[in-house]
Amino acid sequence: MSSESTNSSSESPGSGRSRPSFGGGRPSAAGGRGARPDRGGKRYFFRRRKVCKFCADKIDYIDYKDIKLLSQFVPERGKLLPRRMFGTCAEHQRKLTVAVKRARHIALLPFMGD
Amino acid sequence: MSNRVYEILFIADPDLGETEVDALTEQVQGFVEKDGGRVEQVEKWGKKRLAYEVRRHREGYYVLIVAESTGPLIKEVERRFKVTDGVILYLTVRVDEALRKAERRKARRTLAEEKRRSRTRAGTSPKPEGVQP
Repeated sequence: MSSESTNSSSESPGSGRSRPSFGGGRPSAAGGRGARPDRGGKRYFFRRRKVCKFCADKIDYIDYKDIKLLSQFVPERGKLLPRRMFGTCAEHQRKLTVAVKRARHIALLPFMGD
Repeated sequence: MSNRVYEILFIADPDLGETEVDALTEQVQGFVEKDGGRVEQVEKWGKKRLAYEVRRHREGYYVLIVAESTGPLIKEVERRFKVTDGVILYLTVRVDEALRKAERRKARRTLAEEKRRSRTRAGTSPKPEGVQP
């Protein structure tokens, strides 16, 4: 928790660089399979870097009533997916899960199955 | 302490008529206001399909009430929802803190953006022409 808060606070002064994504390039590298560096010359294959939609679109408050937005991050059957699927940053993924769970509670989104 | 904003979202039985839903909404509103709350906004979404079956219903009449209220009052509202027949589902969420936080982030971001813009403008103007007296 404390590391999280220092992360976000250190981000704001140095945000002149790029978009506000957390931890540089690390999360997307974990999404691919960049853990094995020694395999000759053909080791870099680029995967389009996913950017957190909420950061890019500057959505600060993820509303549980906005099903149009939420359903972009939840497949038809209503299952929540790990954040590597959509490239959401940790902070927004946390908010997203809460929003989805609220939406489920009030029957805007399904629990699982159909 | 007392200025907490809650969203009270409930789903009324779709078999009720429009007037009955209105009466129900009024009832909730009146109850919130009677005990020191203040209703800020009432939004009727109308009949919507439910994502799953609730008490043998496939659709429901959504009503959203945004109100300034207190914890115990909301608790009482929830208790009333439980014993009211026309309400098939309800959800109360406290929103003021999250909204305030979002507001603050927005302010901080616009400030940072402004700073950046002014900095780049100062840096990328090589020759100020005809400005000097």
